[in-house]
Amino acid sequence: MFLQKFGMRRLHTTTKQLMAVAAAGSGGGGLEKSALAALRKKTGYTFANCKKALELNQNDVNAAEKWLNDQAQTMGWIKATKVADRVTTQGLIGILVRRNRGAMIELNCETDFVARNDTFKRFVDHVARICLHYTDMTEFDGDLWKLGFDADALKNLETLEGGTMGDHLALLIGAVGENCSIRRALCFKVNNGLRLAGYAHPAPTNVSTTDDITQVGKYGAIIAYRSEHKLQDVEFNKSICQQIVGMKPKKIGEYDKDKPSENKDEEPCLIHQEYLLDADKTVGEVLYERGIDIVDYHRFECGEQTERHLDEIIKAQEQQSSN
Amino acid sequence: MSHAFAVALSRSAAAPLLALRCSRRAMSTARIMRLASASSSSACWQRRSQLLPSTNSTGNLQQYLRSYANEKKVFERTKPHCNVGTIGHVDHGKTTLTAAITKVLADKQLAESKKYNEIDNAPEEKARGITINVAHVEYQTETRHYGHTDCPGHADYIKNMITGTAQMDGAILVVAATDGAMPQTREHMLLAKQIGIDHIVVFINKVDAADQEMVDLVEMEIRELLTEMGYDGDKIPVVKGSALCALEDKNPEIGSEAILKLLQEVDTFIPTPVRELDKPFLLPVENVYSIPGRGTVVTGRLERGVVKKGMECEFVGYNKVLKSTVTGVEMFHQILEEAQAGDQLGALVRGVKRDDIKRGMVMCKPGTVKALDQLEAQVYILSKDEGGRTKPFMSFIQLQMFSRTWDCAVQVQIPDKDMVMPGEDTKLILRLIRPMVLEQGQRFTLRDGNLTLGTGVVTKVMQGLTESQRLELTEGKKAREKKEASKK
Repeated sequence: MFLQKFGMRRLHTTTKQLMAVAAAGSGGGGLEKSALAALRKKTGYTFANCKKALELNQNDVNAAEKWLNDQAQTMGWIKATKVADRVTTQGLIGILVRRNRGAMIELNCETDFVARNDTFKRFVDHVARICLHYTDMTEFDGDLWKLGFDADALKNLETLEGGTMGDHLALLIGAVGENCSIRRALCFKVNNGLRLAGYAHPAPTNVSTTDDITQVGKYGAIIAYRSEHKLQDVEFNKSICQQIVGMKPKKIGEYDKDKPSENKDEEPCLIHQEYLLDADKTVGEVLYERGIDIVDYHRFECGEQTERHLDEIIKAQEQQSSN
Repeated sequence: MSHAFAVALSRSAAAPLLALRCSRRAMSTARIMRLASASSSSACWQRRSQLLPSTNSTGNLQQYLRSYANEKKVFERTKPHCNVGTIGHVDHGKTTLTAAITKVLADKQLAESKKYNEIDNAPEEKARGITINVAHVEYQTETRHYGHTDCPGHADYIKNMITGTAQMDGAILVVAATDGAMPQTREHMLLAKQIGIDHIVVFINKVDAADQEMVDLVEMEIRELLTEMGYDGDKIPVVKGSALCALEDKNPEIGSEAILKLLQEVDTFIPTPVRELDKPFLLPVENVYSIPGRGTVVTGRLERGVVKKGMECEFVGYNKVLKSTVTGVEMFHQILEEAQAGDQLGALVRGVKRDDIKRGMVMCKPGTVKALDQLEAQVYILSKDEGGRTKPFMSFIQLQMFSRTWDCAVQVQIPDKDMVMPGEDTKLILRLIRPMVLEQGQRFTLRDGNLTLGTGVVTKVMQGLTESQRLELTEGKKAREKKEASKK
């Protein structure tokens, strides 16, 4: 018994070894055990499900794996329905900017442990890419086009791999065992010399490019701007996004209409705010120096309470299309 | 010598504050005690503001004495104390396990039984002005007394570590046998690493819903993962059972017996933390007095260890290290045989002048502490609701750091991101303008002008600053930009 146990412990370190010895045959019980271990290791599905799969497929690992993959969708939905009424307050904001298109999404989960996990981050990237794909398909020649999605619309989005986004979300819920929801998404498309830049906080330092890479964080901001210069100053764009993330401006503000507020720390207009990197200047002054004109921006904060501005976006969109 | 102290005491107690200040014989344990009770551990600004309004009557002194005595009532320690916590996936039964532990121990009259919903939904607590979601439960086994912590999220465990309300000495990792390790189990172990937990005991839950083979495989998987994350996976105790069975009084072999087995493993595997009393002594200096004919007396609250007459000591801080000997220890103008951690005392020291020692230095066993000017810390930045600032901050911000009885200007470096938002926890590198006594695990507060910006704990001691780095601390933004430009 001891030997057998010892053997198992050693074997478990690699699946290959395990399979090899299992094939060599260490009795009926050992074979079953290793089949279960191998299946679990290969697929990552829960032990209970792997066990069931093996029972249904007469311990045939390959058949069981196929069965599990087929069942994953249904099991995901079962789990998703079970946990559907649990609150999701944690999560991540994902931002993906590809040249003149950008997408910002919010994916929620129950605990921040899950939000830190790679499986979750990969899913944020997945959702952002699908949203961006929809932006790509839209024909648009005007300057700035924005489209907001709410949770229900996102669930029904068809994906490239087949199935709706809701199906994919159910798979994620099945994998992490927590309720998750895609809360909102916002897509940008710009033309005629306008450009986009995005930033998610906290971001790792010294990233050379953010083009076509999904940035994830607790906060996010996308700006649409017009610049006199051909070359983009990535660092500067980032600092403006940081300004928006950090100082939560309510609007960009216009010099002839908006007066600077008396309380510097609660300045609602972006142009009148103190520039975070150089407190001697206002953001408006810095933008003027660089010859940059901010046309529009948006800020997401993970778990923030307001649904209001998403509605506004949709409303603005309707107005735009009716004009 | 006690006589000299007593005379000074009675005089100063009767004399007005001004006279006390001017008097050359002003050293008095009475004043010290008044200071001590008026001042909180390290905040000197608070001390000043509270000192002035305090009248100087004997009656008041009596009151202070009494409240002081009440406050410091010695806890009857029959068993050593240890803090543990549960970590694990939401559905794997952390709360059920906690409820089961209290129930099983309550049957032995060692705990108060808590129901599931009394522990669940960790209530919001305010510690040091920070809101933390945390549930605390207490129980004891035959050998030890436990504080048991459960938090819903990573950020809450970090805040718990920073505020130090219940520093976890060990953790119980809960895994359901039906699911095995989840993708985020890795994150749970990372957290344990981050908050400095070296000892983990694994509880495989829900074995009633799984068979033996599954349970064995889960055990292997967990051991493997623990090894991968840098723990000694082969030696970590793994206990299998069902918390639910224990709670419902079913199948005692996987129910209550498994819980008792788990507690036994926790008892033996997680070492009892070293008591403050058993560490080398350390006294943060609050005040220094000179008594003609007797010498210099330093006062403060003994943070740890034991001080006796005749012990060698060392004063560290403000770029100085001074050796001396303790020639007398007094508390409440009475001679103390030995002062223990927690005592508010005055110590007479030989061969040092009053002006050599300053508030903020520490008196300690020679060679046990060092002054540092660079360190790594885990800091929680207060949100606006908690009284912090509204704006985020970037690297190079200058702040005031308060710890023990000293405060010092520091420059902040943010190592792995560009800025820090209020309400976030973060790793920071702090550079002190002059070396101060700091150790791993020491807690501090960061302030900016008139508001508290954050609170933190030293996680790593770093190499001292070089001469050029120290010069960089004082240079302005313009100089830094120039240097940056010339490098490119």
